[in-house]
Amino acid sequence: MENRTNLLRYALGIVYFHFGLLKYFRDLSSAELIAEQTIMKFSLYAFDAHTALLFLATFEVIIGLGFLFNFKPKLIFCLFLLHMAGTFIPLFVFPEIAFKFAPFAPTLEGQYILKNIVFLAAGWAVLYPQIKSKGMKSRVEEK
Amino acid sequence: MKFIKKNAIALLIIVLISTGVYFSYQAYKGTDLSRIPVQVKKTSAQNPYKEAPNSSRITNKGVEQLKVYPSIQKGMRTPFDLWNYYGKGDSSFGSPNLPMRFEQWVDFNKKQKPKLMADVDAYMNGRFNFDSRAIPGQFMSGGRKPIMAGPVTRLPRGIDSFETLADLAPEEIKKRDLFPFKPLAHPIQSTAHMVFPDSWVAIHPQHKRLDVDMDIPEDYLPEFPPPLFLTTHKELGDVTGGQEITLDNFFEMFDGIISPEQMEGLKELLRPTPTTWFNHTSHRITEEPSQGVACLDCHVNGHTNGAFELAPDSRPNMARLRVDTPTMRGNYNLMLLSSKRSIRSMDHFAEVEEYFDGDPGMQQSIGPRAAKREVTNRMGDFNSIIDYPPAPKLNPLMRLIPGKATESELRGEAVFHGKGQCDKCHYGPAFTDDYMHDLQVERFYVGRPEGPIKTFPLRGIKDSPPYLHDGRLPTLADAVEFFNIVLTLKLTKQEKEDLVNYLLAL
Repeated sequence: MENRTNLLRYALGIVYFHFGLLKYFRDLSSAELIAEQTIMKFSLYAFDAHTALLFLATFEVIIGLGFLFNFKPKLIFCLFLLHMAGTFIPLFVFPEIAFKFAPFAPTLEGQYILKNIVFLAAGWAVLYPQIKSKGMKSRVEEK
Repeated sequence: MKFIKKNAIALLIIVLISTGVYFSYQAYKGTDLSRIPVQVKKTSAQNPYKEAPNSSRITNKGVEQLKVYPSIQKGMRTPFDLWNYYGKGDSSFGSPNLPMRFEQWVDFNKKQKPKLMADVDAYMNGRFNFDSRAIPGQFMSGGRKPIMAGPVTRLPRGIDSFETLADLAPEEIKKRDLFPFKPLAHPIQSTAHMVFPDSWVAIHPQHKRLDVDMDIPEDYLPEFPPPLFLTTHKELGDVTGGQEITLDNFFEMFDGIISPEQMEGLKELLRPTPTTWFNHTSHRITEEPSQGVACLDCHVNGHTNGAFELAPDSRPNMARLRVDTPTMRGNYNLMLLSSKRSIRSMDHFAEVEEYFDGDPGMQQSIGPRAAKREVTNRMGDFNSIIDYPPAPKLNPLMRLIPGKATESELRGEAVFHGKGQCDKCHYGPAFTDDYMHDLQVERFYVGRPEGPIKTFPLRGIKDSPPYLHDGRLPTLADAVEFFNIVLTLKLTKQEKEDLVNYLLAL
């Protein structure tokens, strides 16, 4: 069971770290358009595209490293949930890009976003048991 | 050591991915697909001889301070400070398809517009103090619209006057980011195209855009409708009688005073044709299908209504410079037409205008502008009789008549031909040398160079605000302050005031 979870943890770490790293290199990430535009729009254009992408890249790389090294599971879990919530924002702020016909005919970009439910489930499966067991352990120690 | 052993797999993954991404980036940038124009590889067509060790090569010097253009699709917002950016587009060629269904396109633009326009207003009001203060007693040539006083460009924080700013060296202004006359971008350069003034759109709702409105207040635009003066009938004065020339009234207005060739040319100048974004297809920026745009929709009555768009001479769209509609008055005197491009003849001018943003493929897809050479020649025939407005204080040699001019205007003329050095480029009957000059304005701010612009004719200049190719100078006073800094003239406040008064007399 632990090996399977580790496999899932590494898989998540690889994807987060790799796709996050790509965003540091201008014009290399295929998610640039939707990522930049979403962050800019959601921040009411307080961020420019460059800053938005750097922000997201850093966010994703930290989560990726967290999965790979399995450190601070509670913090990584929070960042992960925040990131996951963010990935679904384009469905609401850019429905024209995410759907051919909302809500059951997504575009390729829409499918790219919607497949994140698998990530969400995987991340939950990896991190939540650790947080739960640590929480129980500390409660037992307190008693 | 223990950490490495424990996390060997994770570390290996990180090293592999980091190395892979880095080398991919090095191999990718500068290729045809990349938007980063760094040429690193030689193609087989290049000179096979070895390059001399000290040969001067085109480099990307200075580019390291700029950002790469953001990724966008048609309709998406673009930065207002586009001078800070550089890069290649995905392709030079446009597509007649929208990135989404037309219904979605309409919704998308309608949703985006209020916030965009609020940001545009905030940006423009941050740069300019549009207080609608007029110069007492000064009106445009039609005698109806007051001329605005200036300068209205806001000074940078910590600088108390334009004189103080002009005392600083270009390097200092650049270093401290104090230059207040940076380029003006189209509010939405992903779609770009023509933006008409509110006064025009009120009468011509077919040109109301879904995505954006005019960003300069009406007071700072040319009068509408402007008068039209003919070189062939100076005795008639304004031949329009204060009306806008349209397809409905042009014949009645001009029958018996212009030639049949000119009449045909005028009709063609008034006939709307499809454009990239004003047309009958779904690739449009209007809610309802549009017949398109006619030459005289922007060049109203042979002048200009202040509509702007992007010069069609560059790609990507974000690299195109915003250009105002230049007047057609006095084109008969010019060897070089347009503001940012080197258009060499009247019929060339009529052929290549911005209807399809310089993209013949889009023209074919949406519906060609069937302007054959004999037709554009006739458009040129009418174009070549559009005169400047009267300037009763000027003699035939374009000098002020002392008995008619004020003291201030005469002092301004002396500055124009003396300390101001204006006459180095602005001379002759149209006050232009018919050359394009690179003002190298990027000496004063970190930004992508804009390249050469045409010397604007100054005859009748009071009728054509805003100034410079992109309209970043809303009044003549702003234009004087701009050139005082850019050409390091060190004019005094009084000299600048006199110069403005002189320009009003031209």
